[in-house]
Amino acid sequence: MKIWNSVRSLFSGKRAFVVVISIGLIIGMVFMFAGSKAVHYTSTDEYCFSCHVHPHAEQSWKLSPHYDNKSGVIVHCVECHLPPEGHGMLYAKAKHGAKDVYGYLFKDSADYKWAAKRKLEMAKKYTYVESCVRCHKNLFPKTLTVAGENAHLNYLTSKEDVSCLNCHLNVGHFDPNAKHEHDANFGVNITQNTQIYAEATPVTSFANFTEKVPGTGLTFDMVAIPAGQFIMGSSKKEPFHKPDESPMHPVKVSRFFMAKIEVSWDEYLEFFKATSSQGRKEAEVNKDVDAISGPTPPWGAPDQGWGKGSRPAITMTWKAANTYCQWLSKVTGKKYRLPTEAEWEYAARGGTKTPYFFAGSPKDYTSEGFFKKIFGADTTTINSYVAYKANSMSQTVEPASVKANAFGLKNMLGNVYEFCSDYYSPTAYAAYKKGAVNPKGPKRGKEHVIRGGSFKSDARDVRSAARDFTKTTEWLVTDPQMPKSVWWYSDCVDIGFRVVCEVDENVK
Amino acid sequence: MENNKGLNRRRFLESTALASIGLLGASVAISGCKKANNAKILGLPPILKAAPKGKKLRAGLVGVGNRGTGAALNFISSGPDLHIVALADVFQDKVDAGRERFAKLKMEIPAENCFSGFDAYKKLMALPDVDVVILATPPQFRPEHLKEAVLQNKHVFMEKPVAVDPVGIRSIIASGKKAEAIGLNIVTGTQRRHQEDYIETYKQVANGAIGKLVSARAFWNQNHVWFRTREEGWDDMTYMVRNWNNFCWLCGDHILDTHIHNIDVINWFVGRPPVSAVGYGGRARRITGDQYDFFSVDFDYGDGFFSHSMCREIDNCANNTGEFIMGTEGYTNCVNTIWNLDGSVKWKFEYPKDENGNETSSLKIPAYVQEHMHLVHSIRTGEYVNEAETTANSTLTAIMGRTSAYTGKKVTWEEIFKSDMDLGPEKIEFGSVDMQFEVPVPGTAHKA
Repeated sequence: MKIWNSVRSLFSGKRAFVVVISIGLIIGMVFMFAGSKAVHYTSTDEYCFSCHVHPHAEQSWKLSPHYDNKSGVIVHCVECHLPPEGHGMLYAKAKHGAKDVYGYLFKDSADYKWAAKRKLEMAKKYTYVESCVRCHKNLFPKTLTVAGENAHLNYLTSKEDVSCLNCHLNVGHFDPNAKHEHDANFGVNITQNTQIYAEATPVTSFANFTEKVPGTGLTFDMVAIPAGQFIMGSSKKEPFHKPDESPMHPVKVSRFFMAKIEVSWDEYLEFFKATSSQGRKEAEVNKDVDAISGPTPPWGAPDQGWGKGSRPAITMTWKAANTYCQWLSKVTGKKYRLPTEAEWEYAARGGTKTPYFFAGSPKDYTSEGFFKKIFGADTTTINSYVAYKANSMSQTVEPASVKANAFGLKNMLGNVYEFCSDYYSPTAYAAYKKGAVNPKGPKRGKEHVIRGGSFKSDARDVRSAARDFTKTTEWLVTDPQMPKSVWWYSDCVDIGFRVVCEVDENVK
Repeated sequence: MENNKGLNRRRFLESTALASIGLLGASVAISGCKKANNAKILGLPPILKAAPKGKKLRAGLVGVGNRGTGAALNFISSGPDLHIVALADVFQDKVDAGRERFAKLKMEIPAENCFSGFDAYKKLMALPDVDVVILATPPQFRPEHLKEAVLQNKHVFMEKPVAVDPVGIRSIIASGKKAEAIGLNIVTGTQRRHQEDYIETYKQVANGAIGKLVSARAFWNQNHVWFRTREEGWDDMTYMVRNWNNFCWLCGDHILDTHIHNIDVINWFVGRPPVSAVGYGGRARRITGDQYDFFSVDFDYGDGFFSHSMCREIDNCANNTGEFIMGTEGYTNCVNTIWNLDGSVKWKFEYPKDENGNETSSLKIPAYVQEHMHLVHSIRTGEYVNEAETTANSTLTAIMGRTSAYTGKKVTWEEIFKSDMDLGPEKIEFGSVDMQFEVPVPGTAHKA
């Protein structure tokens, strides 16, 4: 009773506070001590080898330069397979520990694909660059080779993360068959492409292929788009629906190939080199049907100084785009052309009926309107698929910067408007017969359909159903020539095109 | 007592409150003025009257031409107990002439320390008594020489430009890093960075004297430079190395050879190398070699900053050399004056006065000597210096501009830094050389 009282007195009045704190401290210290002991105990080589009994672990480690070296320094398991303290060591330990325990309890080591686990991609998951750098502070020892210098300079200056393991894959675990692979791309001029293709790629089956342009070193990817039916246009309920997008109507489309990306500057400039004429006269007088006369030189810099390469070629007229297709058909022996509007929308939707081929409502993504301007919007999803006003920095983007749709096509929405072969009419859809098959739009017209919106467009105009059309006069206002160019729009910087290729009947 | 305590405490509180208000006021007043960064924070080299005393330093000169000999004399005159003890040059006559010149200055260089031939540098650097090497050969050879110097544990003074192609540049940077790891000092001949007037102007600009930097211009426009006419008995290699200033593979063209000074100043003031270059150039007057005689390059530094760079070597044209940087609150010639936007002078560097009390227009200690003082100072005091990478970056900037002019293409830093461009022949030896020396023509041909 007396004891009980004295214990109780500890927890009453002012004392209680001190006592609780002290007990907490003691428990904490014990816990920390035990924790640290546990971390220490489970971080020894012996502990690791108690589970990792496969020969790739201990045996290959003992043959590697991290164990078997003249300096006598032995690098232990955790020094590579856990990041150093202060770099998320405990978190990594918990993560790997949980995985190990799960594997120990539920998996059979015979089932592991050991060869795959020793590949670079896997090795990167279980080896930490911070760990390498912690020990290897001097990346430029006196004896470093030129290849090593280049690789280490690349590591120091590259904007992307370069893993030490890219080159030093087998230093922790010895592999008698390993070759030292240094960064093969470094020091190589990537623009150099000396292989000139003699023949176009033969297409024998209905599958994606990479076209080779004969007489050039150029290739581009074509995607096989299977035949199907879809509902073209949008309903009045779709946010930002415009009258020319209705009535909605079912359309059947035959199979075709479509270019994975918009025609790039690399591609367009091959055409320009091959067909361009110095003066206008030659282009107009040339009546030789076998020869394709191409664009005259542009006045300004049609790439706007944004760079060429794989960025979409822009500012060419519809006629120029159409002529490109004729040239491409001639050199490859295939039937390349601009897509019809129906083909374009079918390809852009990739089987979806929603405003975009990805999730989300145009209402959420638009930056127009009073509230949107104040509060902004969560545009993570649209940003990953579309280059539009909100994320483009007012210029075209590289195709690599966005994700593809379900067919594997990139930049169908956004980046640049794309020419279609159809003439534009706001009432085109009403004129379609029910159950139209491969419709081609009005027979006559002045302007052509353009689709997909551009890097200048708001989210409301990059919907799959949104339509627009060329504005020839407006886009040639500042062209100083008389008559004005038929090859280049002087006042439109966000238009380009994408080619489709017809499927030969013999292709199964 | 209690009262007293309370009162004291109150007084104490009052006085501390007052004091803190005072401090606050003072700190507001201080922060009202712009806090000036000092030389150390800005990474500026020391300006010295002479290199400090210390252990005897013996230098070997690699490349005994006019600049090399000059650099060697600059080295000797930069402080006490500094000696030239070895010479190396491709040509024996150059070595002999150099030996004679040093002998006249009462500096006998023993014959066994004089070497000629393409491997002369190796023999010189193998001498254990040499502490410092001065690299003053045509820039084509610099990367190889620096590499060997680091391998042989020598401190280095090397002339600019430091290479002629990206392969050489990467070698220089790597050798620089190897030198750093073992504490070898490296100073380069971009002397504007050691020139007191430039340094003082840099301090002003770095501390905001012209506001945010907006754009820049850099010039090196001059008359045609020297060339050697081929003499009887000279093989291809002899002719080219003797006439090195006229061959791109040896000197990198004049955008590297001379204009690099201005390009280096812009890089220094802006604080980074450019991200890309678009330039052009051509050849209108030259009769020897394979180089251009004018370049005009637009360097894009990113963040909206551009520098227009031009250089020309043609007689009887408008000539000027120098740099100009425009800022939001003024502009500067980078060397001694800062103007307000309205053209009035905001700040001027004060040059030393002569015996009559008139201000002179130059520094008492030439920058050519100042840079050697810096090197000797670093070796003797342990205040480490290594300018290899900075000068390599400025050289690469010039190479990027040259490549853009030669090809007509836009060239990015990324491309040129990783490029495999290597201008040198596979083997460097005397005899006939199987190399084409066509003058580059940008772009593709017009059609008829």
